[in-house]
Amino acid sequence: MSRKSTVVALALLLALALAGCGSDRDALTIYSGRTQNLIGPLLEKFNKETGIAIDVKYGDSAELALLLDEEGDRTPADVFLSQSPGATGFLAGKGHLGQLDADVLGKVDTRFRNGDGRWVGISGRQRVLVYNSEQVTEAGLPDSVLDLTGDRFAGKVAIAPANGSFQDFVTAMRQLEGEDATQTWLKAMVANKPRTYANNNAIVEAVSRGEVAMGLVNHYYNYRFQQESPGTPSRNHTFADGDVGALVIPSTASVLAGSDKTEEASRFLHFLLTEESQRYFSDQTFEYPLVAGVPAASGLPPLASLHSPDYDVDALGGGLERTVELIRTSGFDGV
Amino acid sequence: MSALVACLFATPLAYLAVRGLTEGGTLAAWTSGATVVPLARTLLLGVSVATASAVLGTALAWLVARTDLPGRRAARLLLPLPLVMPSFIAAFALVAAFAPGGLLAGLLEPVGVARLPAFEGFWGALYVLTLFTYPYVYLPVAARLGQLPASLEESARLLGRGPAAVFRTVVAPQAAGAVWAGTLLVFLYTISDFGAVQLLRYQTLTSSIYASRVFDRSGALAQSLLLGLLAVAVVAAERSATRGAGPGRLAAGARSLRVPLGRWRAAAVALVAGVVGLALVAPVGVLAFWAVRGLAAGSTRAGALVSDAGELALPAAHTAAMAVLAALVAVAAVLPVAYLTVRHASRLAGAANAVIVGGFALPGLVVALALAFWTLQAPWPLAALYQTEALLVFAYVVHFGSQALRASQVAVAGVPSRLDDAARTLGAGRLRRLRTVDLPLATPGLLAGAGLVLLSTMKELPATLLLAPPGFETLATRIWNATEDAYLADASLAALFLLALSGVLTWFLVVRRGNAPT
Repeated sequence: MSRKSTVVALALLLALALAGCGSDRDALTIYSGRTQNLIGPLLEKFNKETGIAIDVKYGDSAELALLLDEEGDRTPADVFLSQSPGATGFLAGKGHLGQLDADVLGKVDTRFRNGDGRWVGISGRQRVLVYNSEQVTEAGLPDSVLDLTGDRFAGKVAIAPANGSFQDFVTAMRQLEGEDATQTWLKAMVANKPRTYANNNAIVEAVSRGEVAMGLVNHYYNYRFQQESPGTPSRNHTFADGDVGALVIPSTASVLAGSDKTEEASRFLHFLLTEESQRYFSDQTFEYPLVAGVPAASGLPPLASLHSPDYDVDALGGGLERTVELIRTSGFDGV
Repeated sequence: MSALVACLFATPLAYLAVRGLTEGGTLAAWTSGATVVPLARTLLLGVSVATASAVLGTALAWLVARTDLPGRRAARLLLPLPLVMPSFIAAFALVAAFAPGGLLAGLLEPVGVARLPAFEGFWGALYVLTLFTYPYVYLPVAARLGQLPASLEESARLLGRGPAAVFRTVVAPQAAGAVWAGTLLVFLYTISDFGAVQLLRYQTLTSSIYASRVFDRSGALAQSLLLGLLAVAVVAAERSATRGAGPGRLAAGARSLRVPLGRWRAAAVALVAGVVGLALVAPVGVLAFWAVRGLAAGSTRAGALVSDAGELALPAAHTAAMAVLAALVAVAAVLPVAYLTVRHASRLAGAANAVIVGGFALPGLVVALALAFWTLQAPWPLAALYQTEALLVFAYVVHFGSQALRASQVAVAGVPSRLDDAARTLGAGRLRRLRTVDLPLATPGLLAGAGLVLLSTMKELPATLLLAPPGFETLATRIWNATEDAYLADASLAALFLLALSGVLTWFLVVRRGNAPT
């Protein structure tokens, strides 16, 4: 045992040594549900401009939210960036988020920020119907997402019922169309035999292979696939102006209530909402800038012309328990 | 010592129990249709994959360890590798390869194959998971066979038995312990897998846990606890079924036997080549295709791997360091329990055995949240470990310790107690017996166990994302980051790198040293 235990003791020492140099206590700690590919370059730029050191932990937005809730007021995190308002709303509901500065909030239209000032939208994603242009023509696609329950779409629509964006969309539908209409639509969709997938990526990949003709996703995934596999037959179809299917959902930024670096955190949120950062979101990820006056990337229609339906974005945070229950009781697979 | 180990390993289950009590609703969740139906699917898939992997893994181990199979050395290196494929990228690659309209269909179209069968659901999951998990059986069985005395098999052959008959009557009974140990791991891996089942659209209990993890937390906690208890129950059943199995036979230093395959040679080569082809070459081929396409196209994006693969160096170093540490610590931690369960079947050992195994059946997310919960509750010196490499290694050990435990138990059981007795008669103390008798003889098995932990740790994702210090990247987190954004070329490059690194580590730490005595 002696040699082995020496090795183990050395290993533990090494681990502890590594632990000492792990994180910087003075750094601004960010938990990011947005991926490194996207947000990493912005963080470096912020660090260069301000000299504020940054520690970042990347992960799935919902799982980071669960971790933040487990950590409570002992969290090392100062800022939480989330893919969707759902995970942020969960934290706001538990009292984990602090109040943001009025001038940070003021940069973004009230449609894309929290009414209590706990989070602010930093980029927008539109819900679309991605379709395979070799199997269907755009003329044959409906103006409203509500029409996907029709017979001609039976077995042809892909859905990711466990995905946060789909759940946000259903929450908005409950608000815009009413509880009963939403339940009726969900049940009619299930009766129409949709194909359920794990997430947006899997849907776009399946549509581009022709495994399924169309699917409900966020708009930017297809741009990404087009870049990686030029010539793929997947295309985006946008539902008509004002249709609940054409919803624009913000990705969000918030500051933890227990943060002792609120000033740095606030500067960081300001930085995310500068014209340059907003332009970066648009150019690199094809997302919609949310600050007024910043144009969307070429090839995208301007945000102002989108006519996302008017809904209370805060409901996306608060009402998700009920939404998940509705989706589940409608009989979707995989929820 | 064992009690302490058991307590440490019990942290995730204890967390689920505490949370379940505070949040309530556990019983209601267990009896709801939203749990029962996916649970049935989980069990069906778990038993099916375990059976298929047991057969495949044992057959491959025997071919490599015991026959004159051509290309044995290459097979020895390649056959464990599918274990290192993170299922979220490998299943994605296999779907892209084999599903209708995928790459294979594109290749076959000119030859007149119009449409491939659907690649999804139960059969898709069974296929993919068997290909990714048979190494759990293959590795311990190969290690065990490498140590078996050749004399019995030789006698059987002299009596005119063919290879198949020798296998059935002589080899199978001797290797049964190792087969059981590996099969149990396959079962546990399968019931806790999420990456593969979700991509293949087969909804199991882990899918439900994923879907309800935030907005129906009591449901998700109850379902996770159910997975853990299921593992504990299966272990208890296995122990009572295999109790009283005789001590291992072993003739250390005996030259190993090579059964000539004769007319079976072509079929054996075809089987090994087929498995390597489907489990390794196919996904690697798809990843290489994406990587090459991305490299050719280049990228102007800052930090893109296709333009600067050097970005992978640090994550690779982190991955290797964590995996080696986790493997060593895991083997050291479970060895006392392995001794206790094998040599003195006590109640405490049984309990330790069960909780260690239970940690493998839980989703990585649960293990991570549990350790966050306990560490932050703990007093100062322990709480300071939160989000350090030390806690991360501990998480890997808790999550994957069962893999080291099963292999260690097989290894320890393989050491005949009469050798130990003889050493004692000659006046050797406990430590000296351990060093001079037990450890040398158990080494190949222990290395196999360490190898399993090593490979599992290298691809671990959910616990790594939550528990690693901020800014601490591994290859798995890199792959995940790229996959999330559908940067297929970047994801593929990182995955290929992970595979290569695993191959190198497996070779140096497991295959080469494990073979040294024979």
